[in-house]
This record gives sequence, C-alpha cells and structure tokens, in this order.
Amino acid sequence: MHTVADDVYAIIARHAKLEAAQITPATPLDALSIDSLAMVEIIFQIEEHFNITIPDDKRIAERFANFRTPADVVAAVEVLLAQKTA
Amino acid sequence: MTGVRIAVTGVGCISSLGRDYRRFADALFRGDCGIGAITRFDTARCSITTAAEVQGYDERDHFEKERAARLDRFAQFAVVATREAVAAAGLRFDGRLSERTAIVHGTGVGGHTTLDFSYHRLYAQNAARLHPFTVPKLMFSSAVSHISLDLGIKGPAFAIASACASSGHAMAVGAMMIRSGLADVVLTGGAEACLTLGTMKGWEELRVMAHDTCRPFSRDRGGMVLGEGAATLVLEPFEHAQARGATILAELAGIGMSSDAHHLVAPSAEGAERAMRAALEDAGLEPRCVDYINAHGTGTQQNDATESAAIHQVFDGRARHLPVSSSKAQFGHLLGGAAAMESAAVLAALDRQMAPPTINFLGPDPDCDVDCVPNQARPQRIDVAMSNSVAFGGLNATMIFRRHA
Repeated sequence: MHTVADDVYAIIARHAKLEAAQITPATPLDALSIDSLAMVEIIFQIEEHFNITIPDDKRIAERFANFRTPADVVAAVEVLLAQKTA
Repeated sequence: MTGVRIAVTGVGCISSLGRDYRRFADALFRGDCGIGAITRFDTARCSITTAAEVQGYDERDHFEKERAARLDRFAQFAVVATREAVAAAGLRFDGRLSERTAIVHGTGVGGHTTLDFSYHRLYAQNAARLHPFTVPKLMFSSAVSHISLDLGIKGPAFAIASACASSGHAMAVGAMMIRSGLADVVLTGGAEACLTLGTMKGWEELRVMAHDTCRPFSRDRGGMVLGEGAATLVLEPFEHAQARGATILAELAGIGMSSDAHHLVAPSAEGAERAMRAALEDAGLEPRCVDYINAHGTGTQQNDATESAAIHQVFDGRARHLPVSSSKAQFGHLLGGAAAMESAAVLAALDRQMAPPTINFLGPDPDCDVDCVPNQARPQRIDVAMSNSVAFGGLNATMIFRRHA
C-alpha cells in the first residue's frame, strides 16, 4: 500500500540523490548531506504534495530540530494530515 | 591604496529611524527600534507580520504628482536621500562639475513594488493593460536615472546589484572612480523598498525570518526583519573638497571585496574574513587600528555565528573586546541599501564618538563571542570604523572609514 512514508522518503531521496529504498526511518538527515537549505526545499515540497503547512518555529535554533530523521518528518506530516481531516 | 584620499563630504538617508540623517543619528544612539507591524500590505496570508517601514512618508512632500507616479518607492527614497547628501555637501552641479560627477547606487531588487503591483493587476485581476511607466519604474537603474534628472548630473551613472552587499559594492566602485580620476564627485549608496506580499512570502519560505523582532548576536534570536529606505554618501578627493572649502565628515579609507564560492545562501567565515583583510590592506591599516565594527549582523542563526568567527580570525585576541554592533535591530535589513545605511551609522559613530548599540539583546550566545554593545550606545574614542556586508550568494564588501579631525 502507498503510504505517507513512501512519499516523504521519495522527496527526501530526491534531495539526497539516493533511491527511496536506501532511506531508512532512522538515518540522520545530516548523514544524508541534507543541509538547512535542502531542508527548506524538502519542507516546501512536502507542503505542496500533502497540501499542509509545516509551522515555522519562533526560535530559529529549533527550526529544524524536530526533523532529525526521516521518521521525524513522517510523524510530523501524519499529525498535520490528521489535523486536516479532523 | 593609491595616493588619492577620499573625503566623505555629505550624507543623507531615509529609513524607519527617521527621514533625514540627523533624526536617524539621534534615533540610532537613543536605541530606538523602527520595527513594527506591517502596514504596507495586508498580512493576513503571512506568518511574518513585522518589518521596519519608513514612517510618515508622503511622496507629495518630495515630488510633484506626475513625477511621483513615475518613480517606484525605492527610487523615491534614493532621490530623497541623495538630495539631502548633496545639500549637506554644499554642491551645485553646474558647468563642468555636472560632467565630472558620477552616480553609483546599489539595489538588491530594484522596482519591486511596481513589479508586484503590476503583476497582481495582470495575473490576479486580469487587467487588460499595465501602466506605460511599468518598465521604466521597475528598472534597477531607475533610481540612478532619477538622481541624474533631479540634480542635472551628466557623468557616468549606473546601478550595482549584489543582493545584500549591493550598496557596499556601489561605494567600492565609487571609491575606485575617485582614485582613478574618472570623477571629481561620486554620489554613491543604495536603496531598497520591497515590502510587498510577494517579497514577504518569498522570504518566509527561507525560514530565516524573525516572528517578533531582530536580535543580532543574541541568544534566542529568531532571524532577520526586512527594512526599507536609502542612504547616499558624497565622495570626492580630499584636494577637491578642500579647494572648495567643503566640510570633510570622514575619510573612506579602504574598501575590500570578496566572494565565497561556497553556497547560495549559507555564509562563509572565510569569505567575510577575506573582505575585511582586503579592506584593511587597501587602507594600509593593521587590525589593531580598528575601533568599531558595524556588522552585517542579520540576526539569523548562521550569519551572526559565521560573522563572529570571521571577526575572530581577523582580529585575533582583540575580537572579544572590540565593539561590534548590528544596527539591523533598529532599522531592519535594507538588503541592497543595507551597506549604505550602515555606513551612515558608521559616519554618525565617528562624528559623535559613540558606538551604536545592538538593541533587543537578551543575553550572550556562545557562538557569537563578540562585544556587541548590548542595548545601549557607548561613548568611546573611534578613529577607524569598519562596516561589513555579507550577501546571499556569497558576495561580500567591507568599507573602512576614518575620522577626520
């Protein structure tokens, strides 16, 4: 079945120049050479793809702190999707 | 360095801190904050709703109605600031001086207000036609053309764009024109006025914007805040200024430029360091001669840490005790106009012998180990002062000004 994780991994994989199958839930995004600019692009593409808005943290140091691994990103997207349909 | 010393004989500016240089300098040292809720456009669709807008500006105070309609807001600010600078310098451009005067002005995005407004009409409102002045208003060089028209200047005139270092590069090119003998007077600086929904939505997506206010070098800083305005400096060779009995406000002693070849938006300490070193070498000064730095200090996580590291590289053990403040906490980030506006702050610091503060400071950040003159201006001896500009795309410019006693 096509899952949220599949789509998120595909978006991350495109930026990391990897195959989606090579992305594991716990691989640190740092280790995939995803810097803050790439993260901003990933967030944008996820927002567009799922039609959600990932809020911008007021504290700049925390802005990407909740997105350390692909699993973190999937979890955040699932919460936002659930809020959208609620 | 060449044998020609460059005098600054006039300065004019308009920003959220005031619509002329004197009011700007008073507000700067008082520690006023020009950042507030955006009124220029409806922010209902924005997560960022603050900026440093020019307050109380009415174009009719400065331009006839037909003329105002032909000037984008950024070009209006450029003309207003330049008129003030020229009046302060006591210059009249008649006869040969008109042809021996150059205009080199910087802007990051030019007539963006015109562009945004026009395209909204075209795409959203399905307007059948755009105003015939759309193109001449949005040109990056429109500010320069209007300064030329306004003052009757017939020498070399052009705009320079290098994002947030645009007016730094403009001043550097202006200095080179004086040194080379290409011009006897150069009107240089920069302007920006791009507070539109389109601009703000673009900046929001970079996730580098502060939600409340700008807190350079501070712990818990939230990012940058956009500003608007313009500043112009009058440059001329010392001999030229002295021969006509002009008051010399300061000397533009050194210029330094570099590029990073590193990253489109992430700054490089090494690039900023090379710009500072180049300016020192150009001025023939040792790092120990510098008494004050007006930093680029955008208030983003990366800029302030990287710039602090670069300052430590150049100034070694002195960095911790060298006053380094960012005026962007007061008048926001003027993008292409920032370097010129911040040079106006440096000229005020040299004049009043006082380091401007970094306001909105909550406490130190270990990644920004500099003396940022927190929250209150500080009286001190300032003979030599530096202004840094570190632009997106890795384009850097540093100016060094020296007090003229």
